[in-house]
Amino acid sequence: MPSLLAGGRAIAQEDFLRATSEPGTRGGKLVIAQRSEPRTFNPVVAIDQNSLGVNARMMADLIHINRATQKTEPALAKSWSVSKNGTQFTVKLRRGLRFSDGAPFDADDVVFSFKIYLDEQVHSPQRDLLTISGKPITLQKIDAFTVRFTFPAPYSAAERVFDGVAILPRHLLEKDYQEGKINQVWTLSTPPEKMAGLGAFRLKQVVPGDRIVLERNPNYWKIDAKGQRLPYLDELMFVVVPTQDAQVIRFQAGDSQLISGLSADNFAVLEPEQKARRFKLYDAGPGLEYNFLMFNLNDDTDRLPEIARKQKWFRDVRFRQAVSAAIDRAGIVRLVYRNRGAAIATHVSPGNKAWFNSSIPAPARSLPKARELLQAAGFSWKAGNALVDSSGQPVEFTILVSSSNTQRGQIATLVQEDLKAIGIAAHVVPMESRSANDRVLNSHDFEAIVMGLVSGDADPTPDMNILMSNAQTHLWHLGQKAPATPWEAELDRLMQQQLVTLNYQQRKKIYDRVQEVLAQQLPMVYLASPNILVGAQEDLGNFRPAIIEQYTFWNADELFWHTPAGKR
Amino acid sequence: MKAPFKFTWALWFLLAIHAVVALAGFVAPYSYETQEREHPYAPPTRVHFFDCQGKFHLRPFVYVTQSAVSGPNDYTQDCSQPARIEFFTPGDGYSILGMFHSTRHLFGVQAPANLFLLGTDGFGRDQFSRLLYGGQVSLFAGFVAASFSVITGLLLGGIAGMYGGRIDDVAMRVAEVFITIPWFYLLIAVRAFLPLQISPVAAFLLVVAVIGMVGWGRPARLVRGVVLSARERNFVLAARGFGASNAYLLRRHLMPLTFRVLLTQMAVLIPQFILAEVILSFLGLGIGEPFPSWGNMLAHAQQYHVLVSYWWMLLPGLAPVPVFLAYHSLAETLQERVKSNI
Amino acid sequence: MIRYFARRAGHGLLLLFGVSILLFVLFQASPGDFLSEVKLNSQISPTTVAQLRAQYGLDQPLPVRYWKWVKSSAQGEFGYSFAYNASAASLLWPRARNTLVLSVPALVISWLIAVPLGVLVAGWKGSWVDRLFSGGTSALLALPDVLIALLALLIALKTGIFPVGGMTSVNTQDQSTWAWLRDLGWHMVLPVAALVIGSLTMILRHVRASVGEVLESSYMRAAQGHGLPRLKLLFCHALPAAANPLISLFGLSVALLLSVSLLIEVVMGWPGIGPLLLEAILARDLFVVIGAVMLSTLFLIGGNLLGDVLLYAFDPRIRRQA
Repeated sequence: MPSLLAGGRAIAQEDFLRATSEPGTRGGKLVIAQRSEPRTFNPVVAIDQNSLGVNARMMADLIHINRATQKTEPALAKSWSVSKNGTQFTVKLRRGLRFSDGAPFDADDVVFSFKIYLDEQVHSPQRDLLTISGKPITLQKIDAFTVRFTFPAPYSAAERVFDGVAILPRHLLEKDYQEGKINQVWTLSTPPEKMAGLGAFRLKQVVPGDRIVLERNPNYWKIDAKGQRLPYLDELMFVVVPTQDAQVIRFQAGDSQLISGLSADNFAVLEPEQKARRFKLYDAGPGLEYNFLMFNLNDDTDRLPEIARKQKWFRDVRFRQAVSAAIDRAGIVRLVYRNRGAAIATHVSPGNKAWFNSSIPAPARSLPKARELLQAAGFSWKAGNALVDSSGQPVEFTILVSSSNTQRGQIATLVQEDLKAIGIAAHVVPMESRSANDRVLNSHDFEAIVMGLVSGDADPTPDMNILMSNAQTHLWHLGQKAPATPWEAELDRLMQQQLVTLNYQQRKKIYDRVQEVLAQQLPMVYLASPNILVGAQEDLGNFRPAIIEQYTFWNADELFWHTPAGKR
Repeated sequence: MKAPFKFTWALWFLLAIHAVVALAGFVAPYSYETQEREHPYAPPTRVHFFDCQGKFHLRPFVYVTQSAVSGPNDYTQDCSQPARIEFFTPGDGYSILGMFHSTRHLFGVQAPANLFLLGTDGFGRDQFSRLLYGGQVSLFAGFVAASFSVITGLLLGGIAGMYGGRIDDVAMRVAEVFITIPWFYLLIAVRAFLPLQISPVAAFLLVVAVIGMVGWGRPARLVRGVVLSARERNFVLAARGFGASNAYLLRRHLMPLTFRVLLTQMAVLIPQFILAEVILSFLGLGIGEPFPSWGNMLAHAQQYHVLVSYWWMLLPGLAPVPVFLAYHSLAETLQERVKSNI
Repeated sequence: MIRYFARRAGHGLLLLFGVSILLFVLFQASPGDFLSEVKLNSQISPTTVAQLRAQYGLDQPLPVRYWKWVKSSAQGEFGYSFAYNASAASLLWPRARNTLVLSVPALVISWLIAVPLGVLVAGWKGSWVDRLFSGGTSALLALPDVLIALLALLIALKTGIFPVGGMTSVNTQDQSTWAWLRDLGWHMVLPVAALVIGSLTMILRHVRASVGEVLESSYMRAAQGHGLPRLKLLFCHALPAAANPLISLFGLSVALLLSVSLLIEVVMGWPGIGPLLLEAILARDLFVVIGAVMLSTLFLIGGNLLGDVLLYAFDPRIRRQA
């Protein structure tokens, strides 16, 4: 590797990761608009997407999920081996790496980081991720560049656990940790020289409420096919633009060069301007967000007699199926998402290529079928097409919806009109999102709600937090000691089974069955998934939008400008 | 004193607007919630006197429109399918003031043609009809909120001005607290306190009433000022001299004096609260779907994509202008009269 | 005199306490707290949430939390932002400064335009100018802030003359102070214009009304009869005579300096109090909200006081009363 040697002796001794992307040219700055600024630079406490997105550019993990392929790939771990029973992970670390402040990296940093995340006193959100079936992962240092992780049980998604678990600099944080102050470090007012990471960039400047500037980490551990050290960009700048409309205008004006989370409406506005303003829009297909109509199936509603009375309908699967059949999903996709979205039958959107069960079609609207189901369930129609139940009570309920999400509000409006066709009087109640969530999670004082969730990962395992009957976010029926219905029992069994099944084909088969049960029982009436719509200046190289978070800049280390900054 | 021309004009205009809005069901060709899902964001339907061949017709007519295959927002006219504008056409059912039920509308066209005078929104709902129905909500909400704030203001301000001293001090400090707090932003969660099952219109009016209620600070100060100055006037002093009680004075002499001031305040506040509803809608606190209001129609139009793509969505934003103008004229004339009286 | 102002300061302090207590109660009553959003994140267990709640002190009773906040305010911190892990004061100061950068020029410009214009229109009372004016201001009043701001951004985008929001260009870091100031000024044009449009009409209407009223008084009619030059009459005699309510109004606009621009800041991406406050309310970041409201309360007190001082200076009658 002559070009490497020319770069200096030190480089040749390091275990670089060689990127497979197109080699680019160095220089330039990339401006990204965000809804709000990051709250903290501390990976131990960061929870919100804005903080995670910025922090992930400055930090690195052992094993990383490639956002484009949705598969795992080595990061700080050079390689790893799994024991036969699938519980032991022996990870070989890259040698000769340095933090952004120049301090060397070795196994002690890894052990230190995991010690913090696993410390019960610290309350890091990562702890829950690293706890499997109630027991935490353990690790031990084998030598300076080898660490062994032990899982409490065989775990199918083991590699994916490491994604996003940032390795911290022991030399900077050990003292704070011992003094019990690890949660307070690295705020927005911490001077940049007191922070260091293994990510592609490091902090340069913070202007409160306005912008965060990152600069190239000179010690980053990736090189391109030509042996050039990544990242290409000199600077990454995150500016705060609180509304999406304003973000779109900034992007149009060229003040920001990347945009993600575009609504289909704004996508349509930008589309005709692509040539003239030299940007390009991408439709990455359906993402992992799924919107659904959910009925309150909780059984602790005795104190809410009005709701308890209506739950007799909600608990009848035929009622839920009838509602599902009455809803015009194609209309939602066309009117709300302008055909840039997909109608769905379960929470797994067609965008999740590896796990989507293609044999279950999204239900088409069929009023006869809906009527048939309702009739079978003992409902009938009064004069004027009003649906009444077997005791003659009119079928009427409220649909809660978060007021902060325009699209969800539109979905609720369409659903309401759809249900009118089968004689159901539904009333939409927009509510500020915290209050709405509080009703779903704590007070259970709701009848139905239009909600949306985003799967954190393409893998089935994170969905256990919703599907398992005893899960904390088993939203339609919380606080179950034992599965309340046979199908929930079946879901429990299937999900446990997929957790310990290591073979993909077998796991896929199990998960296909999970989707069948859900499509049949409809604990949530799954409606639609919007496409991930993004845009970038056409000059940006290696731009590969993904359907997992940080849709546009997950590979910021590989992004580059084709034309040098001065000439653009 | 003869009412000035401006005053009469404003009053008649407001009466007319309220009448039209109250009769929305009859005047509007459609219901506010009918979705023509094949016609989202349709531009205003063109009303013709000349057909495609250039022939003149005395009775205005429209052509059936279809959205083009290429995109959902291009609409073409079908020259082979004209439809005359008719009067007293049957259509969606409605009721006026909850009493008269009917399906006849003042004007309309036969399906499959549509008559969207101000275009449609994203669900294919007729904007003109929604504008009329929305007026019911907005004008009423403005009135409710203004009444609440004026009535509360009258009570507290009157008491403060009448009794003075410690009571006055406390009342005015509390008024300051209420004036200071940016209620709009804090009331985001107010819907959460209302029972789930009440209708969206009732919920909205309650929210508006709360907003009106917390706005009592300013009217209270005004009333207090009037009462303070009136207290020292001769006939009040004389009444007191004859041993009239405070309550009697308030009711008999001071309330009538403040009445005009309050009317003026109403005329000033109603437009303010109509507009406040736009902010409510911007924050997601407005009236729930599918009910229209001027506020949520305008809030909808102030989305970027709507603003640049569908000019007709801004037309409802013009509706409040003449109403405001009328209220302002009313307020001004009233104000002058108050001055000449005191 | 001094006693009078001491009393006003006392009132101000009471007001601050009243507002803060009311906010605490309001927040206590509203469903959900800072951590309720975290609960929906399926990767975080309820025990973690409970521990975090204890760490933030959210599990303590209201009086305890209030007392803690008072203590921390005494140290100038105004409590702690849950979201930012930093003191509320440290978040608020830089943003309050940015908000003032916007609202102070807007205030000055609005008054500079409104006073002469209002006086002139008052002089033309009843004419077509006056009617046009009434129509124009009614139309402007019907325009919501958000729409004005969005239209301003649209104009900026179409013409390319002005920057489309934000406070500084993305390339300003390594420039001279002069270039930085110019850049800042350039970014201020549109938000300030939007603010001026939003607040101008109100002031205009007041100026016109109070000057118009003075013009109708008998001594003004007499002066008019004596053939005093019109402009001199309007500006040298009518305006000073109508000054009292205007001074109070000026005090009020000073009082609103921190809060008039909230929505405009949000739409135009200006890093002021607006975006922070809106986010904080939605996220139930209690102390940031309280801090922001306390700051604007301080301005309110200051503004009212300023109005009084000005009145005191201008009007001998009031001087005698105090």
